[in-house]
Amino acid sequence: MAFSSSSSNLTAYTATAITKPSSSPVIRFNKASTFRPKPISISCVMTQQSTNSSAAAVEDTAALRPDPLGRFGKFGGKYVPETLMYALSELETAFRALATDYEFQKKLDGILRDYVGRESPLYFAERLTEHYKRPNGEGPEIYLKREDLNHTGAHKINNAVAQALLAKKLGKERIIAETGAGQHGVATATVCARFGLKCIIYMGAQDMERQALNVFRMRLLGAEVRAVHSGTATLKDATSEAIRDWVTNVETTHYILGSVAGPHPYPMMVREFHAVIGKETRKQALEKWGGKPDVLVACVGGGSNAMGLFHEFVEDKEVRMIGVEAAGFGLDSGKHAATLTKGEVGVLHGAMSYLLQDDDGQIIEPHSISAGLDYPGVGPEHSFLKDIGRAEYHSITDEEALEAFKRLSRLEGIIPALETSHALAYLEKLCPTLPNGAKVVLNCSGRGDKDVHTAIKHLQV
Amino acid sequence: MACNYSTVSLPCVGKVALAPIESPTLNTNLNYISKSNTIKTLSTTVSLEKAPIIGKFGSFGGKFVGEVLMSPLAELEAEFNLVLLDHEFKMELVCAMRDYVGRETPLYYAKKLTDYYKNINGEGPEIYIKREDLSHGGSYKMNNVVAQAILAKRMGRKTVITATSTGHHGVATAAVCAKFSLDCTVYIGTKDMLRKPSNVQLMELLGAQVKPVDGGFQAAASESTRGWMENLQTGYYLSGTAVGPHPIPTMVREFNSVIGKETRRQAMEKWGGTPDVLVACVGTGCNALGLFHEFVGDKHVRMIGVEGGGVGSKTDELHSASLVRGEIGVYHGAMCYLLQDEEGQITKTKSVASGLEFPGVSPELSFLKDAGRIECYSVTDKEALDAYKRLCRLEGIVPALEASHAFAYLEKLCPTLPNGVKVVVNCSGNGYSDVTTVVNSIPVNEI
Repeated sequence: MAFSSSSSNLTAYTATAITKPSSSPVIRFNKASTFRPKPISISCVMTQQSTNSSAAAVEDTAALRPDPLGRFGKFGGKYVPETLMYALSELETAFRALATDYEFQKKLDGILRDYVGRESPLYFAERLTEHYKRPNGEGPEIYLKREDLNHTGAHKINNAVAQALLAKKLGKERIIAETGAGQHGVATATVCARFGLKCIIYMGAQDMERQALNVFRMRLLGAEVRAVHSGTATLKDATSEAIRDWVTNVETTHYILGSVAGPHPYPMMVREFHAVIGKETRKQALEKWGGKPDVLVACVGGGSNAMGLFHEFVEDKEVRMIGVEAAGFGLDSGKHAATLTKGEVGVLHGAMSYLLQDDDGQIIEPHSISAGLDYPGVGPEHSFLKDIGRAEYHSITDEEALEAFKRLSRLEGIIPALETSHALAYLEKLCPTLPNGAKVVLNCSGRGDKDVHTAIKHLQV
Repeated sequence: MACNYSTVSLPCVGKVALAPIESPTLNTNLNYISKSNTIKTLSTTVSLEKAPIIGKFGSFGGKFVGEVLMSPLAELEAEFNLVLLDHEFKMELVCAMRDYVGRETPLYYAKKLTDYYKNINGEGPEIYIKREDLSHGGSYKMNNVVAQAILAKRMGRKTVITATSTGHHGVATAAVCAKFSLDCTVYIGTKDMLRKPSNVQLMELLGAQVKPVDGGFQAAASESTRGWMENLQTGYYLSGTAVGPHPIPTMVREFNSVIGKETRRQAMEKWGGTPDVLVACVGTGCNALGLFHEFVGDKHVRMIGVEGGGVGSKTDELHSASLVRGEIGVYHGAMCYLLQDEEGQITKTKSVASGLEFPGVSPELSFLKDAGRIECYSVTDKEALDAYKRLCRLEGIVPALEASHAFAYLEKLCPTLPNGVKVVVNCSGNGYSDVTTVVNSIPVNEI
């Protein structure tokens, strides 16, 4: 297996900070040349062979994830207006202090257990395993990490709950968040109700129309939902508006970012709060088959559920990690959200990472049938893991995801979120290549009741 | 409480005239009026030990079915008795409950709800919520369906037949049948299909065959029994309600009793004792029995069932409070409290929570009510909707409208309880699919 990393070949870019009042405060790179990174083709078998440089990079992962400046290699960082620098440092200091805060850990564990419903089971999907057996009866074993059973029906609550507790510790009474489809908004509104915090959710006006039911839910939970009309009135604009609010109200307000994107320390913090997924998986794998998983599969939008599962195993080199993004109508259609496959390096929402941008460095509006994957950026740590070859990233079209949605429903009676369906769809390509008895753990990141209307419309069941 | 000469509809038999039914002989002072909401405080000499598995709870229960069903029911009873002692069955069930359904469900201390009910002196009961809303499928229904599906497989059955009113039980059955490779046929009334069309879509997505039946749940249940009878060798009738001929009420209660068992253990861990008060909503009584059954022998544990009071308590307004306002009759093969008119015809029921809209109720609960072991109340639609919104705002938990009835009763209960009393409320399901109903009930400018 051979691959090439393009990370060392970038030509000089000139960076200009452009902050037009009507657009998002995104720092754009004006390219000095028409350089495009070489397309990376990775075809992996069970044992991954990496070149010397990347082997060293993997060894260094512990030290670099992230470094003191908040970088994962060259990704990550803190590309934010000056007003936010103090708040971010304060947040980082508070977060690092939690490692030794026994009271906080105990309280968080109690809430994760009694309120969120952890630990979530590691479920052996017998019929799905049967489905992937080859004619000679051989095939991998598929296990599902059931994050769909959490309170609010997705993994998002792990982070929301911990950040709300942290906000209370910091004495912040006001919480803001952005949301695309509303799932992160509902999770944030939920924890704010639970902890008695004032909650304001920014949501693109277009998204609000598409997801009216989620808007009602947030309001029933006591949150204020503010429509964002700028730009394309979708997630990325809502995020920018939320950042603007935070800049204005930073002393009283904590921003609950929903994914492992954003400026340092968010990627690290959100990852740590979701890392319980991977920790439980290790323990459960040991109980169930006395070993570790061989392959981890998760869908990637911003990348929080994937990092939550992967983080625990990054040092375990024999564990293969696969992230699955949304290819929408297809990678060549221009209507997709496959950031790590088709994107280029840039800065969005405070972090350097891969992102979908055109030749002028403008953000391309992504598309995916699943709103949670409909994000033009990706967490910087994923960009790093991809570049050093530690994790592989593939993509799945809307159609393939819908098929997988139906397949899991019919085989296991579990209705997965359309986001999760992308990871499930990748099993079609993955399983034929795996040896007999390989243990695959797939993160079932959310349940799909919310997606039934969409799916039925497209599937015509 | 004597019934007049009544005509009832029995499945597969049609209309049957029943001789006057005698009041249950319980050695109790029967000076109460069944239509009242008051607690039955008179003493009783009836033993409150759990009813032996012989099909009757006092004079409630039984097997009022056509002859042709007696043999399949006997076979089911025999199999059920076997599995209760079968280690392999228990292991398979425990594994499915843990990994598939996501048990055990937490017993959650609702601090903000507790604070809300504190009086001026800062005194009040402590409210704990049994989180059945966190189960796979979003409600407690999986407990019974998973166990029965495993039972069906043991019996070598290939097809599962069931009837559903709102569709929640249908969806749970379809999901579990998908997992266990069983063919699934769900009968649903056309009226109910219109109320919750999304559930029909879910059932079809999960691979079930949905058969619409003209009318409501009564018609669907009759049709499904007919369907079962055509298929007695390979079909298994999976009942979702606690009302039915023996052994169904006992089976459904046994399989749901895991709720109470977990609660006992969790209460011991959390505060070193048993709960003082248990509160649950009552439609047919499955979730209530699931919580209560474990504690029936603990006489100091108070048990409160809360039914759907509909719009209000006037006699001409529709409601679903079978225990509070019903009279004894036979429904779906069992003798129980039942909402019926003077001629013994089943009355229409109505509740904002469609899962409570059942004219009959579990024979076991009927027995426990008459014996004075449980208290039964009803709350109106409006009180339930207020409780739904209250729990959302205070705890960030969205309860099903059915469970909201149990939470609504806390308004009346908590002021009467001494300081520090431990109340466990069964949150029988989550209410994300009820948001539309709730929102439609709120005036537009208040949202």
